[in-house]
Amino acid sequence: MTVTVERGARTGGGQPHAGPRRPRTRDSYALFLLPGFLAFTAIIIVPFLMNTGVSFTEWQGIGTPKWTGLANYRDLLDDSEFWASFRHSLFMVVAMAAVPTVVGLVLAAALFDYIGKHFGSKVAAVLRACFYLPQVLPIAVAGIVWSWILAPDNGSLNELLKAVGLGSWQQDWLGDPDIALYSVMGVMVWVQIGFPLVVFMAGLQRVDPQLHEAAELDGAGWWRRFWHITLPQIRPEIYVVLTWCTIAALKVFGAVYVLTKGGPGGATDVPSYFSFTTFFEKTQVGYGAAISTILTVIILALSLILLKLQTRSEEGDRA
Amino acid sequence: MLTTRRRVMTVAAAVLGGSLLVTACGGSDGGGSADGKTLKLWHYEGADSAMGAAWNEAIKEFEAKHPGVKVKFEEKGFEQIQKTAPMILNSSDAPDLMEYNKGNATAGQLSKQGLLTDLSAEVTKRGWDKTLSAGVATTSKYDTNGVMGSGKWYGVPNYAEYTMVYYNKDLFKKYGVAEPKTFDELTAAMDKFVAKGVTPLANAGAEYMAQQYLYQLALSKADRSWVDKYELYKGKNDFHDPAWTYAATTFADWVKKGYISKKSTSTKAEDAGVSWIQGKTPILFSGSWWYGRFQSEAKFDWDSGLWPGSDLTLGSGGNLWVVPKNAKNKELAYDFIDITMSKKIQNILGNKGGVPVAADTSAITDPKSKELISDFNTVGKRDGLAFYPDWPVNGFYDVLVSETQKLITGSEKPDAYLSNLQQAYDKGVPQQ
Repeated sequence: MTVTVERGARTGGGQPHAGPRRPRTRDSYALFLLPGFLAFTAIIIVPFLMNTGVSFTEWQGIGTPKWTGLANYRDLLDDSEFWASFRHSLFMVVAMAAVPTVVGLVLAAALFDYIGKHFGSKVAAVLRACFYLPQVLPIAVAGIVWSWILAPDNGSLNELLKAVGLGSWQQDWLGDPDIALYSVMGVMVWVQIGFPLVVFMAGLQRVDPQLHEAAELDGAGWWRRFWHITLPQIRPEIYVVLTWCTIAALKVFGAVYVLTKGGPGGATDVPSYFSFTTFFEKTQVGYGAAISTILTVIILALSLILLKLQTRSEEGDRA
Repeated sequence: MLTTRRRVMTVAAAVLGGSLLVTACGGSDGGGSADGKTLKLWHYEGADSAMGAAWNEAIKEFEAKHPGVKVKFEEKGFEQIQKTAPMILNSSDAPDLMEYNKGNATAGQLSKQGLLTDLSAEVTKRGWDKTLSAGVATTSKYDTNGVMGSGKWYGVPNYAEYTMVYYNKDLFKKYGVAEPKTFDELTAAMDKFVAKGVTPLANAGAEYMAQQYLYQLALSKADRSWVDKYELYKGKNDFHDPAWTYAATTFADWVKKGYISKKSTSTKAEDAGVSWIQGKTPILFSGSWWYGRFQSEAKFDWDSGLWPGSDLTLGSGGNLWVVPKNAKNKELAYDFIDITMSKKIQNILGNKGGVPVAADTSAITDPKSKELISDFNTVGKRDGLAFYPDWPVNGFYDVLVSETQKLITGSEKPDAYLSNLQQAYDKGVPQQ
């Protein structure tokens, strides 16, 4: 780190500073942000602005784009496939944010309070790693494995159901339009659960054990302690997880691409996949750009709302 | 405050870091050089496929005939080229020679955008136009609107492809079903299989297979002018005409009757092919691109034949050799194409289970390959190549997959199915 000192002052070597140190100015900090800002501009801002520009045109990706103003956005408003893909996104938010957050909380508390205390922290760590494994697996690999598991003929799940005498429960998990979305949601819960778990377990390390001990002495059971101590204490982590997972859910692409390609009959289509097919398959680049622009704006707005809520909650805690 | 020197250093470091990040996103070493010493070649055929084997041999022969010239072959994925070709061909990274998909929505579009080299003069000079039959050459020529069938030559195919019915003879024997020769016999055979609890047709609803069954049903009630209307926009295409209506209602009926599994909506072509190879389904209707693999992997007695009761079937010239506009060694590219059109390379392709376009038929020794080529010649004689259903409109493949899935699940009736196809077709059809 660069430090600013008066001319002639001695520094370094762990020795005390001889001269008075000037406070840092905002400008000097800004310089440290410059590389990141440049990269962010080149990789995020410029392509986003270009994409937004393209969304006002009719273009096939090559040749000269034709300016059409808001026509793509007007078309989107009447596009039932577009709205359906956004509806499916809400299902994905449930599968990738709501359910993993709730289940992750309970699992983290169980691993931390119960497994850790009764079976040792090593066992808890191993179990945590097991839950986290799907996060490490490339989604393409996980997707292919799940498509084998969920295959209608000879898929592991259907075979298992048959083996335990529940043959009538067998389904075409990814091929039936009424249940395909729920199957994809199930896979996403499995993929996502490790992330909140790890974050919450890290958060639980912060909670002062004396709070729990005092509550226990006062006769509070596990559930009351969880509700009144654990949850309020790790609220920042909950906000982070919810924000992170909601954004991931809105952006979800890989799982849909590998498992169903948006099918059957568009039953599992999501905005990012819809944008992708519009862009590359139909070569309606302007229209595809409009979809991704709207998706970006929604994600940005939602992130800001969640951050605002988090800030307000933290200010409330400090007040 | 930072000292001036440090400030300069910091800014320099920041700019350097930023620029490194930016350049890290950049591409590879750029295109080949126009030194006449390198032929940069891209294709996406597996090394063990008929085309892969033939072209590997062609590379060796090319290098032998061009001392000092190196073929820089880069294996690409089908999807990779399909999705990124327009952008790559528009850059200096373009190869000298590349395999690309035939059809209006692919090669046609690139030719319209001026990204491909007009090969007409070369085709005449080297006599490739004499070698290729009219049906096969259709997909090599594109007009100024990017519509195939006329205009300039923008690609050269080395092989042809067509669809056929594959029969697992052992399963037919096992269930006491006679191999069908007519369409009525085919449906009778399928009824017998269903009665014995066997789903007769392998199908893949998540990919091309399902729509190809449907298109073949339509073709059995169609003629050349119908195909020209649909594929070449020679007249108004009506999805509610007798051929399409018959196809959609028959297909839906076949699902109801159990000829096609209701559970095949999420099945991929690979799964359907494998289920046939494993002897789980007695009949598969698909393309000659499976032929070589079935020859090597099917461990039972099998046969193939053209769709009964139809003069037309899906098929065309194969994927094309195209020379990008920005190619730096065009002469070398032409020489390479010429070698792939030679008898020697064509015979390799034929003996490996491909459909050659210029082979010496007496040199095809493998009996199964002989049968494959003989059936193709039959199709050629009756001008029966009817292309593919997804060709006329960009993105129509996805529409067909999605809508046909609905037809399989029963969530859409044939009439609505055809209306939706009409809507997508009309929206995407190029303005003439």
